[in-house]
Amino acid sequence: MAADAGDGVEFPILCETCLGDNPYVRMTREANGRECKVCTRPFTVFRWLPGRGMRYKKTEICPTCAKLKNVCQTCILDLEHGLPVQARDAALGIESSVPQQAGNRRDYAARTAGSLEVVSGETDFSGRADPAGREMLKRMARKGPYYKRNRAHVCSFFVRGLCTRGSECPYRHEMPEGDPELSKQNLVDRYHGNNDPVARRMLARASKRPSALAPPEDKSITTLFVMGVEGAAGQRELHDHFGAYGELKSVSVASKGACAFVNFTTRAAAEAAAHAAQAGCVVAGQALRVAWGKPRPKGPSAEASSAGAGSGSGTSGRTARIPAPPGAAGAALYPSQDPTAHGASAGSRA
Amino acid sequence: MPKVQPSRRSKLEPPEGWSDLEPTLLEFKQKMRDAENESAAGKRRVETTWSVMRVHHQRSRYIYDLFYKRKAISRKLYDYCVKNGHADANLIAKWRKQGFEKLCCLQCIQARDTAHGTACICRVPKAKLEEGRVVECVHCGCRGCASTD
Repeated sequence: MAADAGDGVEFPILCETCLGDNPYVRMTREANGRECKVCTRPFTVFRWLPGRGMRYKKTEICPTCAKLKNVCQTCILDLEHGLPVQARDAALGIESSVPQQAGNRRDYAARTAGSLEVVSGETDFSGRADPAGREMLKRMARKGPYYKRNRAHVCSFFVRGLCTRGSECPYRHEMPEGDPELSKQNLVDRYHGNNDPVARRMLARASKRPSALAPPEDKSITTLFVMGVEGAAGQRELHDHFGAYGELKSVSVASKGACAFVNFTTRAAAEAAAHAAQAGCVVAGQALRVAWGKPRPKGPSAEASSAGAGSGSGTSGRTARIPAPPGAAGAALYPSQDPTAHGASAGSRA
Repeated sequence: MPKVQPSRRSKLEPPEGWSDLEPTLLEFKQKMRDAENESAAGKRRVETTWSVMRVHHQRSRYIYDLFYKRKAISRKLYDYCVKNGHADANLIAKWRKQGFEKLCCLQCIQARDTAHGTACICRVPKAKLEEGRVVECVHCGCRGCASTD
């Protein structure tokens, strides 16, 4: 039957979370067990227990539909980042080519099943071509697998106070917590990335989040801290990139820590650069993370200079602070004696 | 030449001692009727047969105890009970084996009928289950029938 989605499939397309933490997971496979919830064609259904105390999970959509969107067959979240389709597509600016009307969808899935590699290869789901979008995805995504998602569902009878099964009940006897708005989900909508309350909240939070780029209170800070300085991105490239926002005092790169300090002469220029970096900062193909620098110790500070003297010059590459020369740990008598007040920067040595 | 029939009367007549068992077994029979006619309203689909399985287990156990444990009835009477459906000979055969002394039903050890070729959850000793786990198997509602429990 040509209409079948995924004949002779050996393993489902799953995310790490849905697979569970057990490396020896047992699965049952049922060929043409159910219809795909997206394209309504029969497909091979897998069922397994993703770890102790979890609920049984099964594949919900066919591998063709999953590959078209690069999502898990069970949770319909992106395979790489574990984010909803809507959130991912918004961050990467992906336009979907999958028809949304049921009949067209089935026809499209049947037609593309053969040339799937071509279709899914065309779209850049991982965000390799869009480092800024990739950065945004990374910010929104969880760091590791989220196994709590595999727990049993909340017992709906318990919620209504009607559960008669007591301790034998395999469902969770807890009151649902969190936003009730988030429970209004629909698999097909989530697949197409429309009207997904979770994605909507994620995107709202990502845009609202007080990022590391909010201008600090201290008006004397004119330094941006740049992380991810690797590969082709060097001091010259940073200079070219940030020089566009205003005059630079210095650019100091610490290649060991893959980071750099960009000192602007004016606060306005630094703010302009930080504002522009909010949407993502790409220099020579490298996605950089930008944050405001920490205030440097001001004026004659015995504490700062003694700390610098103690750790020696080995750590000077990481911070722009110049350690006081040995023996200068004593109290400074006048400003020129305080090395931290001097205009020299690590940039000249880096 | 027609076969000579043994006297049908001796076959039909219950063996000695039957009158002592009769009231109890009739009561079991009535219980089974009630279980069969019980309404399924308010039960889950798997739960509907549990009461039948329970009565079946109880009365097989009764005959098993009388014959193998207390040795209170004769072989003849035991065979008569099995033949008339008052006890399940296959289930009793399992109970006589080590490790199956408390077996709830035959379905629960039918590994061929399960997806991964395993016995039922009720066969797992309580000590091997995670702490505080309450099991109720789908076949007969058994809450654990491992012989070590």
